[in-house]
Amino acid sequence: MRLLNSILIPVILSTFNLSAVSALAELNVVTTTTDLRAITNEVGQKFINVNSIAKGTQDPHFIEAKPSYMTKVSKADLLIAIGLDLEVGWLPSLIRGARNPKINQGQKGYLEVGTFVKPLEIPIGRISRADGDVHPFGNPHVTLDPIRTGEIALKIAERLGELDSANTAEYQKNALALQLRMQKKTKEWQQRIQAAGIKKAVTYHRTLTYFLDRFQIENPVILEPKPGIPPTSAHILKVIDTIKKDQISLILVENYFAPTVTEKIKQTIPSIRSATVPVAVDGAEGIATIDDLYENLVKGIVDQNNN
Amino acid sequence: MTKLLPILIFCAFPLGALAQNTKAFNPDISANFLGLFLSGTDISNDRLDVPHNGFSLQEAEIQFTADVDPYTKAKVLLAVGQEAGDPGFVIEPEDVFIETISLPHMILKAGKFKLALGRHNELHAHAFPFVDAPLIHQTLLGDEGINESGVSAAILIPAKWYSEIVLQAFSLSNETIFNSPKSRHSGGLVHIKNLWDLSSDLTLELGLSAAEGRNQLDRNSSIFGIDLTSKWRPEKGGKYHALIWSTEYLQANRRGFTEPTTAETTEKLGGVATWIQYQFAERWWLQLRYEYVGLPHPDVIPFQNKQSILLGFLPSEFSGFRMQYNRINTQGKNNVDHVVALQYNISIGVHPAHTY
Repeated sequence: MRLLNSILIPVILSTFNLSAVSALAELNVVTTTTDLRAITNEVGQKFINVNSIAKGTQDPHFIEAKPSYMTKVSKADLLIAIGLDLEVGWLPSLIRGARNPKINQGQKGYLEVGTFVKPLEIPIGRISRADGDVHPFGNPHVTLDPIRTGEIALKIAERLGELDSANTAEYQKNALALQLRMQKKTKEWQQRIQAAGIKKAVTYHRTLTYFLDRFQIENPVILEPKPGIPPTSAHILKVIDTIKKDQISLILVENYFAPTVTEKIKQTIPSIRSATVPVAVDGAEGIATIDDLYENLVKGIVDQNNN
Repeated sequence: MTKLLPILIFCAFPLGALAQNTKAFNPDISANFLGLFLSGTDISNDRLDVPHNGFSLQEAEIQFTADVDPYTKAKVLLAVGQEAGDPGFVIEPEDVFIETISLPHMILKAGKFKLALGRHNELHAHAFPFVDAPLIHQTLLGDEGINESGVSAAILIPAKWYSEIVLQAFSLSNETIFNSPKSRHSGGLVHIKNLWDLSSDLTLELGLSAAEGRNQLDRNSSIFGIDLTSKWRPEKGGKYHALIWSTEYLQANRRGFTEPTTAETTEKLGGVATWIQYQFAERWWLQLRYEYVGLPHPDVIPFQNKQSILLGFLPSEFSGFRMQYNRINTQGKNNVDHVVALQYNISIGVHPAHTY
């Protein structure tokens, strides 16, 4: 009992005092990815403080649930995730460890944006892990489509407004501005990609599905034989056959994967162009905004010198 | 009409939606099992012993988790394994508890669970870094570790780094150290865990644990532990490389314990295990471990040192194949013992949420 009096009670009292102080400050938002952080930052601007758990250089499927992230989430008023099982391997551990009932699933402080923006590649029929690390609710890399990013911004604005009604109009205005800019830029990017004549590309994982779909670039073959399974020699031979048959001229490798396999393909097909591309904000130097991210992807596709 | 109404309502409700909604409330279900082949000079050839040379099912675990209501969630993890002295298998409820999800800053837990005594004791067999638990854990805590009924409070301390204090009260039915003949007796535990981000690639974790309770002689047993873990996983290239260095020290004082034949005291015993896990490719791990039991040790208990090397291949998040070699040197024994272990570790069901 002495132990309880000397340790437990001061700890509890001090934690509640801290909560009272933080309630007076701006909204504290934590996002799972840097793309969501960039979008949320633009929507919330001076009214929020936002941090991301994953770094732009990391594969968001495999983030480690570091206790220091729990400390971040424990102070959050709002936790924004992609959902669609992208964070299934680590976010539940962070939420549990954060001990913050405000951001539990089903609460206003928890928002999953993936389901609101028409996910692609929802498996049909029976699925099994024999198909690799499939996502039963669809491909989760939704923020790689600038149009969906605009829709996500509106959803985030709506939720920020629910948590901070005094600034609802500001959030809506910022989200609409982002959406309009994305719509306008998408048309420009579309023209540049069409002018370059790139119709098909190979990727390492199905990370770029939404981007390629938006700009009508087919993705007939993936370097991974199945989602989450590293390339094998036999599969690479099949990829080489498809590249030749479909006359594919471009390989895009997400920069958290090792690009070594593309070198092997280039030994067989020297004319093929490959680009190692960041696929998240902060994924490389100079990719500080969501606009930078898309612009860099467009450059990777159209720039013949990008090799 | 009143008789027809329920039928009409039932028919009007889409059966597919009904099935889907009902399924949504099912707990998350997963199963895991460990297959083992052992060949060792100090391992028994009697299949009634655990472990024994040859093929065996080391353990199978079935796990169910779900929210109970807006306030709590529940976990049921049943482990199936061979009990020494019997070729058959028994079911052991390793984790059966509810815990709060609605309280700020703390998790309250009630049920049966693995005590927060250091890091390794909380691990289930499928998450052990090596095929076997460290020697000092097996010696002091028993083959299954300390797993008791009780209550727990895990409180996040407001600090600049991650800091947590865990307080637990538990029953005393452990096979080795806490096993009071009187069921009204209970034990107590304090665990303090701190973790610092030294950089975005590197963390350092320091834990201190102490537990006390009565033993089978109705006298006090106490145990003290220190655990230190450093993890390195680079932000760039972290899919392919990582390095973990862990060390755990345990020391126990089991009042009244004696060697049965000579009646010499065996009260105080301690030991250390330190291991390195190096991920050198996307699916490959190389691991080394050194252990010493006998810090301190009574004259009647021989000291032991053990070296292990393990090569692990993990084709996916759901399967792993590992090969381990142990070299064990025991005081007073002329020959050094050698053990080779081959293990496969398989998981099916919902995707696990990994702990750090």
